[in-house]
Amino acid sequence: MLRRFKYLSHITLGFFMAEALIVLALVTCCLLASRQEAWQVLLSVTLALQIALFILLYFWLARPYWRLEWMIGLFLDGYSLTSLDNSNLQLSPVTERLTGYVKNELSANRLLKLSKRQAQYRALQNQINPHFLYNTLESIRSEALVAGLGSVADMTEALAVFFRYTISKVENLVTVEEELQNCETYFRIQQYRFGPRLRLNIQCAPEDKEVIYRCRIPKLTLQPILENGIIHGTEFKIGAGMLTVKLERTAKLLTILVSDDGVGMDEHALSQLNERLDQSGRAFQEDKEDAGGGVALVNVNNRIHLLFGEEYGLHVFSIPMAGTDVRITLPMIQSNRELPSGEVLL
Amino acid sequence: MKEEVLRMDRITFREQGATELNHFCLDIDAGEIVGLIPVNDTGLAAMIRLLRQNLPLHYGYVYYRGKLVNHWQDSDLSYNRIGVIESRSGLADDLTVADNVFVLRQGFRKLFIRRKVLNRQLEPFLRETGVALAADAYAKDLSAFPRFITELVKAVVAGCRLIVLMEPASVISDTRLGTLQRILRHYASAGISFLYVSRHYEEARQICTRAAIMVNGQIAKTVSTADTPPETLQCFGVEAYTQMVRRQERTKAVPMGSTPALEMRNLRYGSIRSLNVCVAPGECVVLQDLNNHIISDLIALFSGARKPASGTILTGGRPFAAKRLRDVAVIQQQPTQTMLFPELSYMDNLCFTLDHRIANIWRRSAPQQSIRSELAPMLGEAVFDQPVETLSQQQQYDLVYTRALLQRPRVAVCVQPFMGADVERRMQIWKLIERLLEKGIAVLILAVNLADSLSLADRLIQVLGGAVQAVYEREDFATLPPSAPWHDFWARTEKQARNDP
Repeated sequence: MLRRFKYLSHITLGFFMAEALIVLALVTCCLLASRQEAWQVLLSVTLALQIALFILLYFWLARPYWRLEWMIGLFLDGYSLTSLDNSNLQLSPVTERLTGYVKNELSANRLLKLSKRQAQYRALQNQINPHFLYNTLESIRSEALVAGLGSVADMTEALAVFFRYTISKVENLVTVEEELQNCETYFRIQQYRFGPRLRLNIQCAPEDKEVIYRCRIPKLTLQPILENGIIHGTEFKIGAGMLTVKLERTAKLLTILVSDDGVGMDEHALSQLNERLDQSGRAFQEDKEDAGGGVALVNVNNRIHLLFGEEYGLHVFSIPMAGTDVRITLPMIQSNRELPSGEVLL
Repeated sequence: MKEEVLRMDRITFREQGATELNHFCLDIDAGEIVGLIPVNDTGLAAMIRLLRQNLPLHYGYVYYRGKLVNHWQDSDLSYNRIGVIESRSGLADDLTVADNVFVLRQGFRKLFIRRKVLNRQLEPFLRETGVALAADAYAKDLSAFPRFITELVKAVVAGCRLIVLMEPASVISDTRLGTLQRILRHYASAGISFLYVSRHYEEARQICTRAAIMVNGQIAKTVSTADTPPETLQCFGVEAYTQMVRRQERTKAVPMGSTPALEMRNLRYGSIRSLNVCVAPGECVVLQDLNNHIISDLIALFSGARKPASGTILTGGRPFAAKRLRDVAVIQQQPTQTMLFPELSYMDNLCFTLDHRIANIWRRSAPQQSIRSELAPMLGEAVFDQPVETLSQQQQYDLVYTRALLQRPRVAVCVQPFMGADVERRMQIWKLIERLLEKGIAVLILAVNLADSLSLADRLIQVLGGAVQAVYEREDFATLPPSAPWHDFWARTEKQARNDP
């Protein structure tokens, strides 16, 4: 019987029935009572029951209803994918089935696969047979070495290493060290274009380095942000540009700050970008991935949300002409077993 | 490994339909002193409220001492043990220092208070600060600095691991600021963290390791104070303001040799010891009280409430007496709170210092109509029919300064005019003071900290122990200590002047 009271529709019905019973009891008692004092007592009791009923009405019906409505609003605004899941109350059995259907459609596993595919697609921009690509790059490298073009050979090697990591490494989680190596490879390729105009600085406290480098983070977390920093930040800047990756940790948290000293962005653009990151659930719900910039950031943020939960993710800080910082917060985990939602890796 | 004390993560906080905090992110580690530089006031009060109490959030997470205390799905309205020290006293005036520290503390359960025991318990804390402060002194008798230290000790004793300091330099003099910084560093080394809210980067830079710049309720960027970023700070929200500072060479030259608008000769009263100051008409002089002793005495003298113990005050070459009170217009600090009378109409608020110029102005509608038609283009027509308490802050400032302008004094004494004002308000106050100067009115700015006063000043007079200690002409501003606001600007101006003879 009590299980039925998880539905607002049943609670409402219960209240109507209680109200009807009170009125019925009052009428019956009034008919039976002969003395005026008895009438007064009856009216007082009824009034007290009404007040109690209204208080219950507020706490059992009105407040849960407002809360449910607020949760649905946040879900529709794209703030959260889990808010529907967390609600203990449903409007009715039919709406509960509807919620279950939506949850199933937006399951973390499915979204993660979709997100990963998007990341790989963005990295490649073409569906190329990887083995054919690696073999071709090896051939170019050999030809370049034979011809004495050392720089071309190096560049080709860097490109092959980068693609191998991006395409052929299938794990969702990699170590920070591997991810940083990929960043350095990507940076080597970019340096052929920018030359000494571009510098990369990786900062990590020596006492924390070993632990931090062993931490596991989603694959392709740093490189897209670094790429963003170069394309939107330092590329438009006059003079040399510096990219900094700063790694810090607390007992539970790993914080990575990717900074550029490029052109930055104004307050409005910053606010819009952070809103897109906070409402990243919307990217899945409405196929809006090309609306505005920061697609790579939204993608990385979504994957972090799906793997670790919404309390982790990305946030952007920026001032025009003073560069941009992208702060990534992740849990300190050193093996896949520590992952709270391990099933998404399957 | 760092130890996290506070993390406000992607907070969106709405009150009465208005977004106060917008994707707000701020983190503070144990033993860290972080600066917060609000470019405007949006969200600042809301952020302080959220630090104190776990109010319902639209979105985001608040972690205090590594524990999730508030998040968007569940806010329990509980209080966090975070100390907030504001420029206004938070002490109970009629209690002693020891009572304020111990008895008002959460969790104090004793029925009988043994004053001697409390005093003895307080001694080590006071000794730690190195400030001579009597445990049995009453809070109402404390000046700004001991009061600030008492509140600091109170927060430490209460076990706060994070203490927010709201614009300390607005109430603490430059000389005491150094002592405060030493105390903060001492507590920081013991693991207590501080959020130092300041309007000026130069001030925050002296003590903070990082400074977060807050614009319209969001943290735009956090900069390391070890770097030299003033250029970057000037390039966004405060751009227009910066341009004003850069254009600060006022076109109207200060008339030399004319009768001084204000002269103080060997003035003595209260803490004032033989003060000699002379201000010419249309000149702006900043009088910086380095140990915050004489400002209240000067206000008492200029408002006519007290007479000098010895020495003279001359306005326009004649002794300042009761019948010449209107020669001086005193504009108090935060005048919108202290100089407006909600029970009076806008017109009455505007005209009540006009009695010396227009006789019986209260009973005559013609002069009032004339004033209204003259000022309407400047103040706006609608404000004259509006109750004073419904005016915007901008309109309230306009009202206070226009009243001073109508009074047509020889000298306007502005007490810390930029205190608590955000960038937009500072720009307005700047323009209002410039309007007084353009009318030939001398302006004497009384300040504890320099804030933005320097950018208007023709001269800076520093007073220590009630007597003039140093006088800086405009070309000497670059020689001021680096903590002075806009110091880099003055240094650059000085360098340019040397390179460009």
